[in-house]
Amino acid sequence: MWELIKANQRKSQILFVMMGLCLITLGYLIGSAYFGAAEGGLIGILLATILWLALSLVSYFAGSSIILSVSNAKEVTPEVHSQLFNVVEEMKIAAGLSKMPKVYIINAEAPNAFATGNSPENCAIAVTAGLLAKLNRDELQGVVAHEVSHITNRDIRFVTFAGVMIGAIVLISDLFLRGFFYSGGSSKRYNNKSSGGGQAQLIIFVFAILFAILAPILARLLYFAISRKREYLADASATRLTRYPEGLASALEKISQSSEELPTANKVTAPMYIINPLKRKGMKISDLTSTHPPISERIRILRSMAGNYNYQDYQKAYSNVKRTTAKIIPDSELAKVITHVPVASAITRSTPISAKAHQRNLGDIMMAVNNYSFIKCDCGLKMKIPPGFAKKEVICPKCGKMNHVISS
Amino acid sequence: MKCPVCKEPMIVLELNQVEIDYCHQCEGIWLDSGELDLLLEGSKDKENVIASLSKKANINEKKIKCPLCRKKMDKIKTDYIETIILDKCVKGEGLWFNKNELHKVLLAGNLNTNNPVFQQLKSIFEYKFKKN
Repeated sequence: MWELIKANQRKSQILFVMMGLCLITLGYLIGSAYFGAAEGGLIGILLATILWLALSLVSYFAGSSIILSVSNAKEVTPEVHSQLFNVVEEMKIAAGLSKMPKVYIINAEAPNAFATGNSPENCAIAVTAGLLAKLNRDELQGVVAHEVSHITNRDIRFVTFAGVMIGAIVLISDLFLRGFFYSGGSSKRYNNKSSGGGQAQLIIFVFAILFAILAPILARLLYFAISRKREYLADASATRLTRYPEGLASALEKISQSSEELPTANKVTAPMYIINPLKRKGMKISDLTSTHPPISERIRILRSMAGNYNYQDYQKAYSNVKRTTAKIIPDSELAKVITHVPVASAITRSTPISAKAHQRNLGDIMMAVNNYSFIKCDCGLKMKIPPGFAKKEVICPKCGKMNHVISS
Repeated sequence: MKCPVCKEPMIVLELNQVEIDYCHQCEGIWLDSGELDLLLEGSKDKENVIASLSKKANINEKKIKCPLCRKKMDKIKTDYIETIILDKCVKGEGLWFNKNELHKVLLAGNLNTNNPVFQQLKSIFEYKFKKN
């Protein structure tokens, strides 16, 4: 595990430096375009760095709470969904986390999940109500294990920081390009001393514009390249935690088959989810620009592990499916093998649930998250009372019995 | 969700996997568009019933707002079994049945005893019907 974390951190550092270079070059070019090459470049670099530092500080201390509230996630207690809590606790123990992650439920029909936070001690796992309604226990465990792996592999902090750095680059380029176009494209009022200098200035200006257009794209590509690899790695770690690759595989299959969009996801938060929540219609997403590896490929890899769950099995399946020799797991980790203990068919396949039952499950989870209280009348009628209900008693419309309302 | 007529919070009733929103004050019922589909699942009359819910009625009854999208709802006329005026969300979020309207639908439903929707709803409101 440590080797993996180190490898991740190394990759993150390389990526960080490259994205940082993007940011600094952008700052330099824009600065010198506006204030002259000599001191303007430095000013630009300084301003760009300050902006990034400020944004990073905000994201470190408030990032996960911002992300959770933007995603409309609500923290829940074990009473709301005990199975989810059990699964998270199991995976917490399996992964050796010192503290239980906070558990959030997002009130949305689209099945999806993400993890966030700045350290394994201070992190949260959020799943949508649709995910809980659609998946059985094994599948849910696979998804939670994938998210817990993001936490133990230190992916969550990376995603937050990299996201913020992209945000800073986009912001600067946008400001520059807009400012440039709205001011009529004239740089003369800033530097009009000599005609020779003006020529050089023009060239720098052209470079600045070009780079302002390219930098956000470049930064995104860098980010995507690493975030895709992280998804594979989290899948590999998840199968090791659950020792049951089929759980995650069938969860991914179910998630990918759903057609609902997640309304609260956006471009910045998209890479955090277990599968891309933004579905583009009628367009095949190119491999280069997608934040997630193709789902079908992830499922194929998991299925071709044939019930084995060690890193070497995942690596082998990965190489077979992708037809590459590329290593996604360091050698020292590959050597670590958990001996296969056949489980005496502990896995029970649940029968597929009807559309009706599914809709009701989903509704119940959403209502529990929103503090509804549940009453079951003696005649069998179930009543779900909203938190704003003022009366203490309610008549059962079926049998006429007065039922006491327990306010939550 | 608040009742579009008396603005009280509505309770949710569930019986045999069917879930409906119900106002205990005015005894009106809200059905989401999806819920109606689920209710009608397996019914031979499904297409007919849904098709009959699209005719607009030209009457001057006070318009009420959809509890979900807050837009004023259309008055629609269904003459599938008996002529009844219902309120339908313009965005297709669902249907509102006033107390008496539902009663009418259910009584009419008795004529067509095979229809599972009417059976189900009737069973949920057994007590209320005995009273009326």
